[in-house]
Amino acid sequence: MFSVILYGRNDSHGYNLHKRAAISFNAIAEVMSDPDDEILFVDYNTPDDHPTFPEAIHDTLTEKAKKVLRVFRVRPEQHVHLRSKTHLVALEAQSRNIALRRSNPNNRWILYTNTDMLLVPRTEGESLSEILGAVPDGFYQIPRFELPEMLWEAAFDRRDPVGNLVKLREWAVRFHLNQVVHNFMPMKYDALGDFQAALREDMFAIHGFDEDMLLGWHCDSNLAARLALYRGRVETLIDKVFGYHCDHTRVAAANNKGRQTKMNDQNRFIWDVSSPYLPAQADTWGWPDIEIEEVRLDRDTSYERYTAGLSVAIEPATEAYRTTSLEWQLYSDLSYDLPHTLPFVCDQVLTYPRTTAVMLVAARAEFVTRFAKAWRGMGFTGPILLPTECEGLPTDLPGIEAGAFADLVRRTELFIFEFGLATQRPEEPVRTGRMPGPRDSRVLKVIGRLFATAAATEAETRPSGRRLPRRFIGVNVIYNKFWPLFTDYVGANINPFCSQVLAGIPRQDSSVKGKILKFRGRHSI
Amino acid sequence: MNDQGMVGRLFLGLREAWRLRDHRSPLPAGGIASDVDRSVLLYLRGRSIARAGAFEMAARLYQDAVALEPRFAEALERSGEMLDVTGQESLAREKYETARKIRAGIRPGPPDRHFVLRQRGHFVAEIMAYDAVLKSLKKNTLPYLARGNAYLAAGRPEKALEDYDRALRLKRKLPEALALKGEAFSMMGRHGEAIRMFDAALAARPDDPEVLNGRGIARMAMGSVDGANDDWRRQLRLLKTNAIARACVALRMADYGSALPLLDDAVLKEPTDPYWQLYRLTALCRLGRSAAATRKFDSTAWPRPLLDFHDGRSGEAEVMAQADTAGRRAEALFQFGVVAFAGDRKAAASRWQQVVDHATPSLIEYAAARNELSRLA
Repeated sequence: MFSVILYGRNDSHGYNLHKRAAISFNAIAEVMSDPDDEILFVDYNTPDDHPTFPEAIHDTLTEKAKKVLRVFRVRPEQHVHLRSKTHLVALEAQSRNIALRRSNPNNRWILYTNTDMLLVPRTEGESLSEILGAVPDGFYQIPRFELPEMLWEAAFDRRDPVGNLVKLREWAVRFHLNQVVHNFMPMKYDALGDFQAALREDMFAIHGFDEDMLLGWHCDSNLAARLALYRGRVETLIDKVFGYHCDHTRVAAANNKGRQTKMNDQNRFIWDVSSPYLPAQADTWGWPDIEIEEVRLDRDTSYERYTAGLSVAIEPATEAYRTTSLEWQLYSDLSYDLPHTLPFVCDQVLTYPRTTAVMLVAARAEFVTRFAKAWRGMGFTGPILLPTECEGLPTDLPGIEAGAFADLVRRTELFIFEFGLATQRPEEPVRTGRMPGPRDSRVLKVIGRLFATAAATEAETRPSGRRLPRRFIGVNVIYNKFWPLFTDYVGANINPFCSQVLAGIPRQDSSVKGKILKFRGRHSI
Repeated sequence: MNDQGMVGRLFLGLREAWRLRDHRSPLPAGGIASDVDRSVLLYLRGRSIARAGAFEMAARLYQDAVALEPRFAEALERSGEMLDVTGQESLAREKYETARKIRAGIRPGPPDRHFVLRQRGHFVAEIMAYDAVLKSLKKNTLPYLARGNAYLAAGRPEKALEDYDRALRLKRKLPEALALKGEAFSMMGRHGEAIRMFDAALAARPDDPEVLNGRGIARMAMGSVDGANDDWRRQLRLLKTNAIARACVALRMADYGSALPLLDDAVLKEPTDPYWQLYRLTALCRLGRSAAATRKFDSTAWPRPLLDFHDGRSGEAEVMAQADTAGRRAEALFQFGVVAFAGDRKAAASRWQQVVDHATPSLIEYAAARNELSRLA
């Protein structure tokens, strides 16, 4: 019957976002009763190494919410062409259009709202699907009622949407929450963007939201103006459903700077709108030709993929714990426990697109073998690119493509550099004061050179069309002699030694030292 | 509330209603002529009284308005609102439901037409709402266009024209306003002026299918059959995905071969709309093909008599007896011509000529009849 369209990203938009959003996802799912109903969340521009926002809060969602939720992940690389035109990190019009294009065509209605709304049918037991199924074609809005932060934060249980709706019905009366704020036409009500129900067919006819609206605010008013023109009137569903907004004004959201807030031009996008249509974007709205990843929370989850990958790559431990040490006298000992480290490496790559091409520059053959198994096991379909400059590595494993570093570097989308000892045996104890042998040193020298070259020339060697820097993952680069090298070139955080992994993008260092490093890396000296 | 307060509020309401009548009244010019006009006046009073906080009194006025004009959906909705704020929720719900049923029962205009001309109803609330906007915003085009559209959709092109002119004073060559002005002229029968407006709009937006449709209608009304068909052929090419709109354009051109598959789609997509069945029968009949069993509609309402006529279950006289508007009579005459054509072309031509003589040029049947006649000639 209807597709709910929401958007956001894995950040901290306003106060206690995670709780507000969980309450809202669960409450919206609770008022759905048609098998075609769906919640479409566009996760816009979350960094590649983060999970999507719904994945991050999945444990607080009900089974019903997970079942109806479809997450469309828009990668930073897909947003980068708009970055210079906006101060915002998440774009409403683009997000909502991406979801609209990919919405279930069986559904008659599209409902635009936000991840802090609870919709309460006025007749208990009635679903929103039934309500929308019974009303004639049109463009419908409802007024938004505010819910003080204390109430939703203190009294709502995220995973009890039924109980939350019951509480809301009581509070509405007890605390006089229901105040309708009328507004000029075509808006009809204040805060109209929290409930705008339009026919899917109408939204396609008017070419979706206006994708020129890049500065935030008024996207809802623009839609109201255009649909009011198109339909002739703005209808209300106030007799059928009340909408409550989890107020979040304790902390201003990123797009709210008081009177200094940058906004879309109200005259252009509201008061001088003259047509419902946007012919300039008729063929491009919602990015119809761009592949947008879809993530589900009820199947093939990140956790399932992660464990599937690791279970084919490593055996369970046979002892209570193993030991290592970060004492300074062991600074030159590059031995490390691979079965312990591999889960942290996989954690770094799991959120990347499955088609990612990853370059693996490694010392230990065992690392390559185990990582290759985990990579496939996690469902990645992109190749593992192995430079032939690295000696002694297995090149005949499924999914591995060997070639010259200079060729592969232009294809890779992610780098993994492993600084281990080529001669370390699987059963060897770690960090006992072992020094590199001649073969180890030779291999590590090659890896160090390739790493410096890759990091120093990253901007020039990106695959064609790619605009954002690629990420470097360093394995076994904490508190050993490759720590300075890695962090000279890559802007990595300080991580616990126990993970053995650092990651980041190449540093932009304009100091003399930075320039020297870049020169050395570029010329392999 | 004491009597003085009540009188004061009533006075305020009447003053508001009088001011609105005098200045930008949603009522037709020439005073109160009918129950519909009286119902609008009651609606205006109710709105003013409601703003003053006398909800029960406002509810009564809205109810009085509905009593005079039972299809006055806006008044029903307002009445529902008053009942809701006075705690009568279930009664309120009934009013809202009735208003929705009334609106759902109104068939929209043909889908190939300008979006404003697909809208149907009173639009009193919209006119008043944009009146209010224009008290604060006088230099923006949207309120003028929106109010003009409300007038146009309500069948008051003269008032619409005033608003479109105001919009054009703000933005001299605004193509949307020019096109709407063209539609208003067309509705007033001033087709020459309409064509000039459409030409100007198309100079800025040559690929606007709705403007092409409007100019086609105006050209056809001026007797330029080829010119009209040129516009509609271009419109047909531009309407890539909307099968129902394309079917309507093809029907205007009496191009039944193109229309038939589109009408098949229309019947599948909107099976409860009897017009698509009727037009499908029209196309089949004119192509000399027999119709497979058509869906039976329970309702006897128009255009059921025309479906019965195609099925041979009723004759011309019975159909004409049920054709209670000029538009329906034109539809009937057109279908008489369609059925007569195979056996008696002269009789068909005579029916179609009557359509051309009496129908409004925006009707699909008018254009189709003119095309049929031009081919017969």
